[in-house]
Amino acid sequence: MAEFFGTTVADIFNTMPKRFKPEASKGVDVVIGYDCGGEGGGKWKLTVKDQAARIETVEGDLGPCTATIIASDAETFIGVTLQKIGAIDALSQGKMKVIGDTRMLMTLLPQIFVQYTVPAKKTEVTARGILSAIGERFRPDKAAGVTLKYGYDLTGEGGGQFTITIANGTCTLKEGLDADLAVKMTMEAATYVGMMTGTIDGAAAFTSGKVRIDGDMMAAAATGKYFDKYVDPNAEEAEELLSLKKITSINQRFATGPVMGKWFAGLREKKLLASVCPVCRRTLILPQEICQFCHVRTKEYVELGPEGYVTNFDLVYFASPDPLSGEVRDTPYACAWIMLEGATPEDAFAFEIKKEDLPKLKIGSRVRPTWAEKPTGSFRDILYFEIID
Amino acid sequence: MTCKCEDIKDCFVIEARMALPNQYFVGRIGSKWIIAMRDKKKLTGLKCDKCNITYVPPREHCNKCGATIADNWVDVGTTGEIVNFTIVNYNDKHLPKKAPYILGQIKLDGADTPLTHIVADVDPADVHVGMKVKAVFAEGPVNTLMQLDHFEPV
Repeated sequence: MAEFFGTTVADIFNTMPKRFKPEASKGVDVVIGYDCGGEGGGKWKLTVKDQAARIETVEGDLGPCTATIIASDAETFIGVTLQKIGAIDALSQGKMKVIGDTRMLMTLLPQIFVQYTVPAKKTEVTARGILSAIGERFRPDKAAGVTLKYGYDLTGEGGGQFTITIANGTCTLKEGLDADLAVKMTMEAATYVGMMTGTIDGAAAFTSGKVRIDGDMMAAAATGKYFDKYVDPNAEEAEELLSLKKITSINQRFATGPVMGKWFAGLREKKLLASVCPVCRRTLILPQEICQFCHVRTKEYVELGPEGYVTNFDLVYFASPDPLSGEVRDTPYACAWIMLEGATPEDAFAFEIKKEDLPKLKIGSRVRPTWAEKPTGSFRDILYFEIID
Repeated sequence: MTCKCEDIKDCFVIEARMALPNQYFVGRIGSKWIIAMRDKKKLTGLKCDKCNITYVPPREHCNKCGATIADNWVDVGTTGEIVNFTIVNYNDKHLPKKAPYILGQIKLDGADTPLTHIVADVDPADVHVGMKVKAVFAEGPVNTLMQLDHFEPV
């Protein structure tokens, strides 16, 4: 069908029943014939009676009409309807002709019909469409060194099965599900589209069971990182709003005092110092001024370790964001309680375990600290504890 | 009770710094105002037609009658007159310029309220109330009030 001004003649007639205003057509009893020539044209007959409008296509003769509008071509008819072409111009140029009462038509029609407007063109967003263009959104810089193969099993209308492979800084999509996927996500195609266009929250969809994840959960959560955000082509252009981002820096000075100062001085020499309670002889690490059991001042210091064993540990998969910076540290990480050599029971020292050693970490693992090249007397002097094989 | 410090040789001070990320939303009105400076090199204000007052910087409601004037944008001149000023004589890291510099209140041509901004290219000894100044815009996008970089004498 021929389109002019972004619409067709048929669209104008098809929307007539919706645009009809019954309350404004009291006592109106007319039959209006339309004859539009050229490509995309045709004949229609509008009957308005008893506050109801009926529109029908007519083959051949229009029959008896109160008035008939004849347009030479579809462009003229659509243009006049949309008021892109002046009705008077079209009439005077002979592109449009009215048989019957022109004045009656020009006052009656706007009164009983809502003005026709071209519906906004919407690009249909489909799961397949989003996925087929996934390569364009791929960010090799964000996925440097990442090798990952994951799949989508999209059910329902517009669904399908897809495997996405990220390797060597490229991203490829293919239909079907490979057997060696790191993770497979199963959901309705509509859920996937909703998640991509932002109408459905991914985490909420997962917790409510709309999305099933089989395989490496962390890999599934990370997939979004390797791509630019999908932009909904139908989204209205947002008003530009400005905000000022500023990091206020506040200088701080922290006095160690004599006891904590001993600890930091020890770190400079790659020593882990504990204070010793003169009454119960327990070792306090980090050094404390007072033994909280005996309520006496500690005076002596003793070097512990550097080796020890893990008595307990927390393996952290979901780190809370830093409240100040909003940054989330790398996960998983482990915070381990380490019994250093020479420490009294229950006086363990808490520190991080080397990331690469996490898979073999268990209670009882023997560990030793790895020091920074040039200790300066700060907590950063110990990088981590590593497991001794 | 006095503190007896027998061993202070390992007492020392650790210098640290706390970073506080802040985000200040310029607002819908403020955004339009700064975007007009950025994209059109124009100074605009909001006018209350009833009270015949043009506000620069713009404000959503008329200060006098309280009417919503958010859509009634008008262009004002990029030149104006200093109605008040001060000379900043101390340095601090939160300040926009090295001291000494002039902070002027400028009533732009067509505006009824003064705009506070930096007045540059004039000796602090020569600045006076009634001095005519013109706006100098920043070159690239700044997206803050500093999109209008400073005022200088005409």
